Amino acid sequence: MDAQPAEGPRHEIVIEDGDDDVTIAQGKVVESEFASMAVRLDTEGNSVRLRIEDLRTGRVRHLDALELESIVWLGDGHLTQLLDPSHDRWRG
Amino acid sequence: MTAVVPSASEVEEGGSRYDRLIQPARVHGTLYTDPSIFAEELRKIWHRTWVFVGHESEVPQVNDYVRKQLADQDVVMTRDKEGEVHLLINRCAHRGLQVCDDKSGNSSSFRCPYHGWTYRNTGELLGYPYNKGYGGKKQLPLGMGKVARVASYQGFVFGSLAEEGPSLEEHLGAAKGEIDRLVGLAPAGKVSLDAGWLRHKTRSNWKFLAENETDGYHPQFVHGSIFGVTGSPIGELYSDNSTAVTRSLGDGHSENDLRPEFRGFAEPMRWFGTTPDRVPNYVAAMKEAHGEDADRLMIEGAPHVMIFPNLFIAEIQVFNIQPVGVGECVQYSTAVQFDGGHELNMRMVSQSIGSVGPAGMLLADDTEMYERNQRGVAMADPEWLDVRRGLHRESVDENGFTIGTATDETGMRGFWNHYKTLMTAPDEGQDD
Ligand code: FES
Ligand SMILES: [Fe+2]
Repeated sequence: MDAQPAEGPRHEIVIEDGDDDVTIAQGKVVESEFASMAVRLDTEGNSVRLRIEDLRTGRVRHLDALELESIVWLGDGHLTQLLDPSHDRWRG
Repeated sequence: MTAVVPSASEVEEGGSRYDRLIQPARVHGTLYTDPSIFAEELRKIWHRTWVFVGHESEVPQVNDYVRKQLADQDVVMTRDKEGEVHLLINRCAHRGLQVCDDKSGNSSSFRCPYHGWTYRNTGELLGYPYNKGYGGKKQLPLGMGKVARVASYQGFVFGSLAEEGPSLEEHLGAAKGEIDRLVGLAPAGKVSLDAGWLRHKTRSNWKFLAENETDGYHPQFVHGSIFGVTGSPIGELYSDNSTAVTRSLGDGHSENDLRPEFRGFAEPMRWFGTTPDRVPNYVAAMKEAHGEDADRLMIEGAPHVMIFPNLFIAEIQVFNIQPVGVGECVQYSTAVQFDGGHELNMRMVSQSIGSVGPAGMLLADDTEMYERNQRGVAMADPEWLDVRRGLHRESVDENGFTIGTATDETGMRGFWNHYKTLMTAPDEGQDD
């Protein structure tokens, strides 16, 4: 992949390799120097979900409408708690 | 609904009410019209035995759900985040509201629209608004209702509202082999029921449908039009010259076994009304999956089996029969899809549309019979329905099952036997 700085939302990230192009992520990318997240709508389920992918680890989560609504209403204090590295991922 | 009900003294003479109403060669018309019998069926059959509800392929993704019917109960079939399938009763634990309203969706949790109580898709209550009114969070030992027992066989999901009873495998008994036979025709060894369900409201008692599904006596009369238009050779398999048999599989299940006829012709795919050269990818996939045995499977074809009380597998399609009232039921139908089935899957969809779709030529004819049957049994005389056809020529096959010829009422008699066993069992809470 090229090492240029992100220019904001992009479409699919594809490594072009002749006949066997490899798609490493689909959707638009929300990116900063700290994190890189691909975001798209997923219609595989019985109703539409948001599919988000951590491009640095490949970890994927689906969020349904009620979960997204809950995030919108999350108090700033709670969101800050989630950002504490020891909250989940690096709990130790 | 005013057919003659046997008097109390008649009932006592003959033992239980059902011993009097259900006899070896005839059954009483009130079994189809009496609301008190229907109420008792709900308690003793539909709320107790294993009832087919849906298929795992209808909730393929984690957090998918579909609304389903289990007799009079509105049920939500969900797949939780671990992949486990649940059958929730669609009722809020607060004031009893119906929680889910869409036919299907994807959500990890359900929020009741009345006061906002929110449940995981396992039925567990995860929270409610303004929790101080309950002394804080997680104070209430409540949840959505659940179907007491849930089990599946080859992806077919069944529910039983009774905490205890025979296991699903015990209930299915010999019918398991018929489901296996269907799945054996899927090159990848799995079937899906994800083509969508048609819903046919039918003004008839559910038992007319269950009995008719393996009645080999009616096709030549009722289905003349579809046999004529399609040039299907299937009609002839339902005559007195046929070597096909009607088999009572026990536990109320029955089948029309057409294999003796198909073995005689020994032509792969004849059961589907086609030839191998017209479905080459499917045939190749079957050979790849089954080797030597593929020809036998493709010659013998798919089962035609009625699984008590409400799952009918009719070769290429599946029916889910659910009662609404004593004189009304709904038939849900869908095309079977074979995993790895290639061109056969699209053909099964179009054949299903042709037979049971809105302008289909098969189900409309059956349904006309069901509804006229319901109107007929409301008349007072004669009081009985005759089920003796072939009684004198029944035999027992090598596996111990009772068989009759292709047009005999052997399946119906097996149905009534099992029905009587269930209906004469004590009510819950009584001495048992
Ligand atoms: S009835 Fe469901 S929250 Fe009140
Ligand atoms: Fe109000």
